[in-house]
Amino acid sequence: MRRLFLLVIFIIGIVLTLSAQYQDSFKVTWIEPGSGVTLPDSDAFDSTDGTLGVLNASGPVNTKGHPFFTPLGTNGRACVNCHQPTYGMSVSTTGLLARWRETDGKDPVFAAFDGSNCPGLPQDKESSHSLLLNRGLFRIPLPWPPRNADGSPKPVEFTIEVVRDPTGCNTSPKYGLKSAEPTVSVYRRPRPAANLKYVISGGQPIVLKTGMLADVDPETGKPSSMNLMTDAREPSLKAQAIDAIMGHEQAHEPPSRQQVDQIVEYESQVYVAQQAHIFGGPLAVAGGPPGLGPAALRDHRAGVLGDNDYDPVFGLFTAWKGNDYYRSSVARGADIFMFRKFWLRDAAHINSIGLGNPLKRTCATCHNAQMTGQDLSAGWVDVGTTNYPTWTEPSAESSDLPVFKITCSRDADPHPYLGRVIYTTDPGRALISGRCADVGSIVMQQLRGLAARAPYFANGSAKTVREVVDFYDRRFDMKLSDQEKEDLINFLEAL
Amino acid sequence: MERTVCAGLFIMAAIALGQQRNFVSCPIVRDTKTVPCFLAEYEGETYYLGIQQDITNAFHPPQLKHQVLVEGRVVAGPRVCGGIPLQPLSISVLKEVNLACDTLLPAEPGIDAPDAPRGPGPASRRPESVPEAGSAPRGPLTGRQEFTVLYAFDDDYLEYAGNQVVTEAAAYAKRIGASTVKVSGYRATTLLSNGDRLIEKAGLAEKRAQNIATLLRGLGVSHLMVEWSNEAEPGDGQADPSRRRVTIVVTPVVTPVVTP
Repeated sequence: MRRLFLLVIFIIGIVLTLSAQYQDSFKVTWIEPGSGVTLPDSDAFDSTDGTLGVLNASGPVNTKGHPFFTPLGTNGRACVNCHQPTYGMSVSTTGLLARWRETDGKDPVFAAFDGSNCPGLPQDKESSHSLLLNRGLFRIPLPWPPRNADGSPKPVEFTIEVVRDPTGCNTSPKYGLKSAEPTVSVYRRPRPAANLKYVISGGQPIVLKTGMLADVDPETGKPSSMNLMTDAREPSLKAQAIDAIMGHEQAHEPPSRQQVDQIVEYESQVYVAQQAHIFGGPLAVAGGPPGLGPAALRDHRAGVLGDNDYDPVFGLFTAWKGNDYYRSSVARGADIFMFRKFWLRDAAHINSIGLGNPLKRTCATCHNAQMTGQDLSAGWVDVGTTNYPTWTEPSAESSDLPVFKITCSRDADPHPYLGRVIYTTDPGRALISGRCADVGSIVMQQLRGLAARAPYFANGSAKTVREVVDFYDRRFDMKLSDQEKEDLINFLEAL
Repeated sequence: MERTVCAGLFIMAAIALGQQRNFVSCPIVRDTKTVPCFLAEYEGETYYLGIQQDITNAFHPPQLKHQVLVEGRVVAGPRVCGGIPLQPLSISVLKEVNLACDTLLPAEPGIDAPDAPRGPGPASRRPESVPEAGSAPRGPLTGRQEFTVLYAFDDDYLEYAGNQVVTEAAAYAKRIGASTVKVSGYRATTLLSNGDRLIEKAGLAEKRAQNIATLLRGLGVSHLMVEWSNEAEPGDGQADPSRRRVTIVVTPVVTPVVTP
């Protein structure tokens, strides 16, 4: 017994020593709007089993008066509320729960408009913010039918009914689908406002997945990558910033051009990635895998296809093969990501665009963009997270998300694998395009800084990276062994 | 392997070479040691359609959960992946979901996919500078040019090859400052081998033409004329895929001849 006690103390000692060596401290810093702090050029924050590195490539950032860190609307929020460096320029449920307790729910991140399940709910109750606190989800109210840039309604190929409404928002006479301004409320995670040169690269005039014109950046006239946001509804970082300020910050007036420029300038120079592991030590080291750590993201070229074996998505991990347990595991995980074949089936906008169904390939087929693992072409895919029967919810009855019934018109092309009647918790891209084939299609996310920003998937359904891996294993019948799962998790958390 | 080839040659003797096979059936996916093969059965015989490759490849495989329209000609040679090869071949994935189409066969010794530029994993070769799909690259274009975009049956989705054609047509029209760019949309009929006729849906010719015109406008082309034919073109069972199309005719500005 005494020997066991000493062994435990010994292990804890090693962990603490290594932690102190590779982390500034176990700090978790929530930046409040208007706090005026100066952010260093390089910072590190506690994350799962290690530290997240945050790199300001342009040098220290004075946040005083900076529009990213200053409320520009009416609810006290700034961009930083939902894009905290601590959480990989997103937010985690751990941080949100702590913030709720520290501020008794008064932090503007919990604003009634979208930081609660529905604005009409009693805002002092924790249960009214359950989707944000438990799944990290903000309410995204979208007009139905969708609108063109000039405000005119877009033609749509389907009707939408509310089947279940646990938040009460979609059936609300004030905020719902049958209100004076018909609105569909879906609930989504904020995406990391970092590593953005990769996210906005790769725009082509014609979208491969639809055969239609890509949206165009109104300022430059260039085609958008259409990889911004869950549904690609904004074509540029500037447009996204204005949309967020008018929506999430509830501004009455749009921000000035100078403010928008400053916001985009700041977020375009932030790079986040895991930079150390509690046992593995620093991840970005000379002679090691070249794609790890935030500096690699700063230095690498954007818009490069990595679905190949000579210059793969996150670089070669050869140097770590046969190394210590952790590094060997990460290297094996990288190999699984790149080379482990399985049958990709029934994924709209992957199988349906000429690749065939099923497709015998690997993770990197879809997660093909170097350094982020997004899709280099416009990235919306229905991998099955939101549509019945593959959705991430245990059942329609027990889900805390709304459930919609989509009925496609006879004239329209049906969803390629679900047909003309679809049950979904989030129609995704279809709420913007109005197309039946897009129901449930969600823009792929970047895979960097994962260890700092749980939960995962656009609907926050996976509390851990393991749950993400389990979903794919189940969805595509990958038959991953326990060892393979552990390796894949170690790899993903090292990104 | 040898036995398979012999059996294949024997059966081929019973099937007239050059015979057109136009039919609708569920596709069959046959796994192999490398990439999967796609097959389809008709009147008790198995036909080889192609293998999984990249989107830039001219052959786009069919999909389980959907029936496929096969339009191809029997060619000489041994069976491939257990099926009689067809060439030229057009396949169209029919839009409605059909859950009965769900046959995925395991890999078997002696049934191999043909050699392919890309295996089932990540690519091992650096991409060629010239896209693979579509026709061979043309030389420098001059004068009046006609570009043709082909479609799968009952479909207005612009595949990769069509994307290349539209891009090329737009580039040419802009380069020469075309006086007119005429976009003409068509829909067609397919004559099946059993005598049935499949007619593409009404309104498809207009939709195809308008989609292409929208793309050309978005790519900076002006002086567009858009037209379409409401009537479905008749099918002869031989060249029906070539009639499911949009043509883009780019006409240069006519320079008046000055006579002394």
